Amino acid sequence: MKKIKKSENSYRVERPVQTGFSSPATHYSEPRIDLNAVLTSNASATFYVRVVDDSFEDFNVFENDVLIIDKSLTPKNNQLVVAISDDAFKIIRIEKQQTTQVNIWGVITYIIKSVL
Amino acid sequence: MIALVDCNSFYASCEQVFRPDLQNKPVVVLSNNDGCIIAANAAAKALTEIPMFQPVFKIKKLLDTNNVTYFSSNYTLYSDMSRRVMDTLKIFSPLVEEYSIDESFVDLSLHQNPDLDSVAHEIKNTVHKNTGIPVGVGIAKTKSLSKLANKFAKKMPANNGVYVINSEEKREYLLQNLKVKDIWGVGKKHAIRLEKKDVKTALDFANMPVAWVRKEMTVIGERLWRELNNMPCLEMVALPNAKKGIGTAKSFGVRLTDYGLIEEACSFYVAEVADLLRQQHSAASQIEIALQTNRHSTTDQQYRNKILITLDTPTDSTSKLTKEALKGLKQIFKSGYRYKKVGVNLSQLVSANQIQTNLFYTPHKSESVAITNVMDALNSKFGKNKVKLATVGNREKEWALIREHRSPRFTTQWDELLTIGNKK
Repeated sequence: MKKIKKSENSYRVERPVQTGFSSPATHYSEPRIDLNAVLTSNASATFYVRVVDDSFEDFNVFENDVLIIDKSLTPKNNQLVVAISDDAFKIIRIEKQQTTQVNIWGVITYIIKSVL
Repeated sequence: MIALVDCNSFYASCEQVFRPDLQNKPVVVLSNNDGCIIAANAAAKALTEIPMFQPVFKIKKLLDTNNVTYFSSNYTLYSDMSRRVMDTLKIFSPLVEEYSIDESFVDLSLHQNPDLDSVAHEIKNTVHKNTGIPVGVGIAKTKSLSKLANKFAKKMPANNGVYVINSEEKREYLLQNLKVKDIWGVGKKHAIRLEKKDVKTALDFANMPVAWVRKEMTVIGERLWRELNNMPCLEMVALPNAKKGIGTAKSFGVRLTDYGLIEEACSFYVAEVADLLRQQHSAASQIEIALQTNRHSTTDQQYRNKILITLDTPTDSTSKLTKEALKGLKQIFKSGYRYKKVGVNLSQLVSANQIQTNLFYTPHKSESVAITNVMDALNSKFGKNKVKLATVGNREKEWALIREHRSPRFTTQWDELLTIGNKK
């Protein structure tokens, strides 16, 4: 029995498999885009959080969106973070002159929306 | 130099990462089946009126009146959070030895920064920031000293969770402030004997003549003595040795009288241990099944029995192991009792590629390696027990552990994610 092998992301030139004319694309093929690699850069610090209502619509975040959060990052001006205030998670935009102390939980890097 | 990084109240800390309302509040975690408290954070330990290791039903009121939040153990979550901590430590060194679910030795011999105090703080802060888990860091020349340094880091608030033994003064100061019984690897018996000889502090022990230590505490004691005197004897271990036995024994959620349900639970546990067996590329020569009633009950009739089955040839096949296990279970099962738990234990393990086959044994086709491999591949891709033997059945809810207060598996299940919003 043949083993089913998972495709691996490899940049190596693939040996042509065409039985007649070998593909002119032989030296140009690349691995397909992997969202995990694109959207997360530090897997052990990445967490996903689901938004359960529209209380953060000011940030364009609505019910059922999923936030990708990287806890290893330090937020820059204007970036969105999940912060803890009054014993609860809130979404906050970091401002240059932050007047109050913000207890940051993690930086929001992407927002996943389903539009189905 | 070696760092010992140890997570503070690990299970409780894992729960607190996802519960901002529980920061600085008392949190405890319950054992399998919500039997008793197995872990508590500092705030909960400070409540001295709460007895640890007591059956939970006896102290539920006490927990509630003290506003202690309790969780069923969520090992899925703890295991993933542990993975995150260990992976974060690999930023600091290519060699990280995972000593337990919540502590690791980190080899710093290749580290460039000579300022170890700042390295220690950097490790502590990075792990906390990236994973949310607070840790303590002890750094020293030997494993035993780094373990003690870690203990000392947590013991004295002034240390701020970090202690580095990088001078003779700091080594002596630490050893002076720890008792003999605090030394990693000194058992109760030796501690009592040493104290009788007026060896009270760890420093007293380190200053004993080595000949005496060897004579009284064997070569193991001598190794410890050397380690405390800055002579490394314990090496970093990258991977653990294969286990010599693999077993599980979990209580049912409720007492079971029905043979069919017990058989399903037993099959489930056989599949679990067989999977671990294959992961370490071993095969088992023996399987033991144990069945017992609740020996703490004063009203239940008592019965316990176990059976050891020696297989005609070592195997790693779930199908073969299940067949043998259920034959054994049938032999020891007696109807009319209310059973509390079933245990499965694989022993006499051999390497899977060194199986001596029996000339006259033709394996049943369900034991084929190909089928096992396909089942393992499917379960690893789609989730535990997605493909299983029919003997496991579909009634897990009727016998599985009780975990009434388990938190969501925030990091491994897409439909149990952490939520944000005002809706409760």
